[in-house]
Amino acid sequence: MKRILDVKNLQVSLPTPNGNLRAVRGIDLQVNKGEMLCIVGESGCGKSMTSMALMGLLPKRAEVTAEAMHFDGMDLLSLSKKERNQVRGMRMSMIFQEPMTSLNPSYTLGNQLCEGIIKHKKVSKDEAKKRAVYLLERAGVPYPEKRLDQYPHQLSGGLRQRVMIAMALMCEPDLIIADEPTTALDVTIQAQILRLIRELQQEFGTAVIFITHDLGVVARIADRVAVMYAGQVVETASAQDLFADPQHPYTKGLLNCIPIPGKTLPGSHLESIPGVVPSLIGELKGCAFENRCNASTGECCYRSPSLENHLGSAAHQVRCPIATASFQEAV
Amino acid sequence: MAEYALELTNLSRHFHLKNGAFKEPTLLKAVDGISLRIRPGETLGLVGESGCGKSTLAKMILGLLEPTDGDVLINDKMRGASSRLSMSRQLQPIFQDPYSSLNPRKTIEQIIRLPLQLHKIGDANSQQRAVKDICDLVGLPERLLKNYPGQLSGGQRQRVAIARALILKPNILVCDEPTSALDVSVQAQILNLLMDLKKELGLTYLFISHNLGVVEHLVDRVAVMYRGKIVEQGTREDIFQNAQHPYTQALLSSVLTPEPALGLPDVLDSSAWNQAS
Ligand SMILES: Nc1ncnc2c1ncn2[C@@H]1O[C@H](COP(=O)(O)OP(=O)(O)OP(=O)(O)O)[C@@H](O)[C@H]1O
Ligand SMILES: Nc1ncnc2c1ncn2[C@@H]1O[C@H](COP(=O)(O)OP(=O)(O)O)[C@@H](O)[C@H]1O
Ligand code: SF4
Ligand SMILES: [Mg+2]
Ligand SMILES: [Mg+2]
Repeated sequence: MKRILDVKNLQVSLPTPNGNLRAVRGIDLQVNKGEMLCIVGESGCGKSMTSMALMGLLPKRAEVTAEAMHFDGMDLLSLSKKERNQVRGMRMSMIFQEPMTSLNPSYTLGNQLCEGIIKHKKVSKDEAKKRAVYLLERAGVPYPEKRLDQYPHQLSGGLRQRVMIAMALMCEPDLIIADEPTTALDVTIQAQILRLIRELQQEFGTAVIFITHDLGVVARIADRVAVMYAGQVVETASAQDLFADPQHPYTKGLLNCIPIPGKTLPGSHLESIPGVVPSLIGELKGCAFENRCNASTGECCYRSPSLENHLGSAAHQVRCPIATASFQEAV
Repeated sequence: MAEYALELTNLSRHFHLKNGAFKEPTLLKAVDGISLRIRPGETLGLVGESGCGKSTLAKMILGLLEPTDGDVLINDKMRGASSRLSMSRQLQPIFQDPYSSLNPRKTIEQIIRLPLQLHKIGDANSQQRAVKDICDLVGLPERLLKNYPGQLSGGQRQRVAIARALILKPNILVCDEPTSALDVSVQAQILNLLMDLKKELGLTYLFISHNLGVVEHLVDRVAVMYRGKIVEQGTREDIFQNAQHPYTQALLSSVLTPEPALGLPDVLDSSAWNQAS
């Protein structure tokens, strides 16, 4: 399968009044053509920083480093600003949680849909409009022709998100990064939008990095999953394996917190993860999850664990020597 | 004991939306003739899509918004017939956003204590003791009392909001999306706390939430709201195992549990419930 994105040891830090905040602490990501990779984790774990770093949309004061950041063979970090803008316009696109952050309230939707493709792909205005109408229709927007003359505020939240999806597909990108695209929507609309993203992705062979904090969403749409905690990936596996056989104490903890209809006894005490996420300012000593982990041993606060293969397979990796070791003992 | 902790009869709230200077305003029936009863000690879940009128209903119950029509009865007495203090001692809110609902310039101790001071209940010593007791009850470490809201995590702030709501010992809590702004690990802590408090204090809850998994876990009865009206209500089993209204069915089929084998649900046609409602 063709690899679209290959990122090694991505780090992002931001200066704050209290010191350097290391939001992303060495992340590896691989995404293949037509694949859906879900990044899941709680708020503040660095999901949005990761996606903005990949898109090249972080503010100047953010420091981004990586051993490799290859997009379809191109080294993104060595591109000039102009080249990077081109890649972003034509081959990578982004869908945000709140569509109004990326829609301009004072331009018509037609203007905004067609702007990129006219600029980057040198197509005529008519062709651009035709494609916009086609994609709006595919995205389930009623009266697509009429929408071209409407302004963002004239649409409901669900419709705006559909427009954003159409917009993200305008230039037939190889990669779409969707950062919590359905978090603000009602569940019935969420289900529709997820189905739409999945269908269009399969139809166009687009790779998608889908970012969410909702494990239910992950389970239903992901091919592969990366679980993030405090700026690191703590577990990565196929969706099947992750939910059937979670290994990292954090992944297990997250799954146990959610009441599941038909499974969790109503009214029963729910498991929770005690404590709070550590501060990301400065260095973390030992395992970042140590202060909340129910499996921690004396060593955990000294050793910084690395991602290791589970059962000898690189398809399922875990950042916890205790989980890996106890498994080996049991076998 | 009152027969009903909370009773709404034919409650409505309409808004006139302006359409520019020369056009007739549109009438929006945000809440449209709702009748509901909650028995003491019962938890009623109120679910429905964004904009269907849940918060408008909650605001009328809390006396933050005047109804256009209909009545709110609290512990069998008309709201408005009792004094503000008496209302505050019966009914308290917990809102979604533990960030904006706490005054950033007051310490946690001041925030929790304020209702006692406002209503001149007890002296300084007994107030301080009450604050400490309530912190114990909601699992808030005493060392945080001198801190400001900005120094607390989201879950801790929601515990502060719950402590503040409970300090006057009300018997009814109106919770409008109390865990929607929280991470799941913290959500579980707050849900456990709400369940424990109910057992310990015999509280009555009106529990408003988008999250049907959470609602199923917490409530005795459910009311499903759509465009200002209740389209279906029943016991937890009635609604979650045997929903009758197409809108309820659509809501339930859209719940995404962490079960990869199930994939995405089929998209239902909303005309089914628009006609039925
Ligand atoms: N002060 C107001 N003036 C005009 N319209 C209002 C006002 N308050 C609420 N509305 C409208 O009334 C309807 C119901 O709003 P409400 O806030 O009760 O919804 P909700 O069910 O709580 O939604 P959510 O799940 O998004 O919190 C919406 O259409 C809203 O826009
Ligand atoms: N503009 C910023 N300046 C400083 N710190 C920031 C900024 N934006 C985010 N952060 C911090 O970076 C970390 C990761 O944030 P983010 O990537 O937004 O998390 P997520 O998307 O997973 O919720 C958090 O600790 C957050 O507080
Ligand atoms: S390394 Fe130790 S503290 Fe970290 S997750 Fe594993 S057991 Fe827990
Ligand atoms: Mg984010
Ligand atoms: Mg509301």
